[in-house]
Amino acid sequence: MLKVFKYTLIDLARNRFVLGYALLMLLVAQGLFALEGDPTKALLSLVQVVMALVPLIALVFTVVYMYDTIEFTQLLAVQPMTRSAILGGQLLALATALLLAQAVGLGLPLLVHSPTMAALVLSLSGSVLVLVFAALGALIALKQREKARGVGVALAIWFLFVLVYDALLMWAMFTLSDYPIEPFVVPLAGINPIDLARIMVMLQVDLAAMMGYSGAIYKNFFGSVGGTVVAALILLLWIAIPVLLAFRVFKRKDL
Amino acid sequence: MAEARIILQGVGKRYGALWALRHVDCAFHAGEVVMLIGPNASGKTTLIKSLLGLVRPTEGLIKVNDEVIGSDPAYRRAIGYMPQISQFPATLTIGQLLEMMADIRELGKSELEDSLVEELGLAAQLDKRLSTLSGGTKQKVSAVLALRTRPSILVMDEPTAGLDPVSSKRVLQRAAAVRDTGGTVLITSHLMEEVESLADRVAYLEDGTLKFLLPVQEVLERTGAKRVSEALPRMLESNAMSNIL
Amino acid sequence: MRKGLILILACVTGGPLVAHSWTYRAGTSGTLQQVIGKATAGDTIIVDGTVSEGSIHVDRSLVLLGGTDAVIDGGGKNDALRITADDVTVKGFTIRGSRRSNLDDMAGIKVNECRGVVISDNFVDQCFFAIYLSGAKDALIEGNTVLGEPGDEDHMANGIHLWKCSNATIRNNRIEYHRDGIYFEFVTDSHIIGNTSLHNLRYGLHFMFSHRDAYEDNHFEDNGAGVAVMFSKEIAMRRNHFVANRGASAYGLLLKEINDGEIIGNTFQDNTTGIMIDGCNRINVHDNEFRLNGWALRLFANAIDCDFRGNTFAGNTFDVSTNGSLIPNTMNGNYWDRYAGYDLDRDGYGDVPHRPLGFFTLLVEMQPYAMVFSRSLFVSLLDRAERLIPSLTPESMKDDRPLMRPPASLKKGTDHVEEKQDAPAGKVTANEGSSGGVLWLLVGVAFLSSIRYLFPHG
Repeated sequence: MLKVFKYTLIDLARNRFVLGYALLMLLVAQGLFALEGDPTKALLSLVQVVMALVPLIALVFTVVYMYDTIEFTQLLAVQPMTRSAILGGQLLALATALLLAQAVGLGLPLLVHSPTMAALVLSLSGSVLVLVFAALGALIALKQREKARGVGVALAIWFLFVLVYDALLMWAMFTLSDYPIEPFVVPLAGINPIDLARIMVMLQVDLAAMMGYSGAIYKNFFGSVGGTVVAALILLLWIAIPVLLAFRVFKRKDL
Repeated sequence: MAEARIILQGVGKRYGALWALRHVDCAFHAGEVVMLIGPNASGKTTLIKSLLGLVRPTEGLIKVNDEVIGSDPAYRRAIGYMPQISQFPATLTIGQLLEMMADIRELGKSELEDSLVEELGLAAQLDKRLSTLSGGTKQKVSAVLALRTRPSILVMDEPTAGLDPVSSKRVLQRAAAVRDTGGTVLITSHLMEEVESLADRVAYLEDGTLKFLLPVQEVLERTGAKRVSEALPRMLESNAMSNIL
Repeated sequence: MRKGLILILACVTGGPLVAHSWTYRAGTSGTLQQVIGKATAGDTIIVDGTVSEGSIHVDRSLVLLGGTDAVIDGGGKNDALRITADDVTVKGFTIRGSRRSNLDDMAGIKVNECRGVVISDNFVDQCFFAIYLSGAKDALIEGNTVLGEPGDEDHMANGIHLWKCSNATIRNNRIEYHRDGIYFEFVTDSHIIGNTSLHNLRYGLHFMFSHRDAYEDNHFEDNGAGVAVMFSKEIAMRRNHFVANRGASAYGLLLKEINDGEIIGNTFQDNTTGIMIDGCNRINVHDNEFRLNGWALRLFANAIDCDFRGNTFAGNTFDVSTNGSLIPNTMNGNYWDRYAGYDLDRDGYGDVPHRPLGFFTLLVEMQPYAMVFSRSLFVSLLDRAERLIPSLTPESMKDDRPLMRPPASLKKGTDHVEEKQDAPAGKVTANEGSSGGVLWLLVGVAFLSSIRYLFPHG
């Protein structure tokens, strides 16, 4: 597995897309900090960029990369090594490359311009989103034989998590506002990994508003130690379940 | 007859509703070259991939060196495989690829047979990026990868496609050498003429079914043909088939 | 020596006032109350040591100076120190041990119906009320430190409490852990300057029915609810800091039924609500900074003729919210970090108006739990659509001349302006529009380029 990890990582290090991702994030982050003058505002703008763009890029890139390397995967699969070792090495390398790119593109400018708790949480949330959506991307690529369909499914999933889920949830909230929706509000908001990551960042940047009576329900849950543990656990499941499924699929997959 | 290296017992493979292989029983032995032929989509590649572990058979079992293949990948140490179409990581050079594959197999220089690199004229191109190579050169690289680990089982899927005649000949010579040192060689090819001089036995697949697996000599004798390519239509028409099946 | 000089001068001029200077050391013969009884108006008493003879009553115009370790301990009986004469000065004491009683309003220092009292440089330690003035005129309360005890509202009273006073000056005091830090009721023409009011249970500063007062350069942090100004007229509020007043009903500044006030040059940061304006008329809110608040401004529909200009709104979750639609107030020339417009004529003001009341703000007013969608892509989409085609947000609530840069950055010097002029003509100084635009551009490009994979033959 370490060998696969090593060589996949070497391949990824030379991959234009990964470098492009790092540069793009660097450009956006630096651009925002330079343009805004006010680091707080730049950070808030970055929150939106990270929450929308990071899942998209992690998802689409992983899907495309998995398809593009299918022959290499075949070459590895006829070597005396297990399927788990191959996928494990590849996924580790993908995660490492994307996280490194993100550390350079996002973490570095944050560290330089805004070394705050909010920036740290944003960095961490962004990293977790990378892992979640890379895992989902790998699962999609292994499930779908055709690249075009795989990318289509990836885009649909991104769209669902980034926009449709929130829209539906908000619609439900307003439609059912006459009913006691309170018990459902926290769990439903916490299921979507993008929402969950965003809430973690919100607890930093919108803390003042979250202390108000409407935000308090979120603050009291996600702001507590127990809530943070639950949130971390949910995000961990969002990584672990797709990865485990991906292993299951890959072990039985005909290459 | 020499020992059986590869044994297929009732191997079947279904993709959705389509059976790519139907209940194939056969054995490949040490010290022979088997030529695997059949029309497009007859199941040749599926059969090869099954014994490489790339494809998981729906039914039946495969033994390689007396081991039933399953989750333990160790049996593949003995196998050299040259796929039909070779795509390599685009960012690597030929040299880096060779190095990497040796590293993955954990083989040192002394354990490798790299004279083919020179012979196929790749020595001067070691620094070339794999993405810039022509199909033929990629085939050469693929052949080197399959042969350099001194395999006792060599599997080649259309090895001569895209290769120039000289290189084709050299690659096939190497395959013969594997056989001559007691190895088992499986070759699929549309260009039967190239391979038949090398082949000891010929296996014919159609529609996922193994129609026959006979010594080349016997096929020619039964049909009175001089070449396998000529013999094949007669074999399929004749009643001779029923005798074997 | 100086005292002697004063004494001689008094003798020579033959004035009616012959001032004496007394020194009283606690534990020596007699009590402080006896010394006060012997002294005459204009005398000075210097006190050393811990006086614990119960409540001390100053009934004539004296100067009480605390020596190095002067303590007046009321021993839990009534007020520790009670002043009922004009022109009394109390300086440099530690005061403690007043009785805790809601019925009798007991205080560390209580001043009743007198003129010209000076209370300075004292440390009032865990008294019920700390400094309590009723019916005082021309009082000066300066440099005191007032430390209460954390508890519940029933067992806490105000730090500096003024009732029916006028012309008072409250300057450079520090008040912590009381119910209200400073409380004004029926107090007129008074000044509150440079005080620090922290960790108070209710308000850092609280006005009721008080008029023509001003508070300036004070710091209010982590109080139950910052500052409350209620039922008062002509209150000037300048250059104060309202920080971290957070909670369900916490405000940096709560205005209720206020007329003709001005709020100028203050900073509101990290408050759940920066300013809450309820039923106010003619308030000028100018040149303030609102940063990182939950709601920078909550403007009830019953606020009329309030004027907002030159303010900076940055990093707030919501800039402005309201509970109604009729907004007869004016907004002009403020800086909004959410402004997405442009400045083609380069006059420093955006060319299109800014509508600070976001669609999402209204949604949260209707359904508070929708708060959880803050800063999501969906919400920013909604907000953007609403700004392009306003449907729900009130048409009248807008800033016609939004600033392109925070006014504070413009004040810093002229170099900034020069830099602006050096920029190539025609270059648009854009605001959040640029960053938001960049985001949307990226999303668009990413989306379009990925569509290629969806329909590879299309």
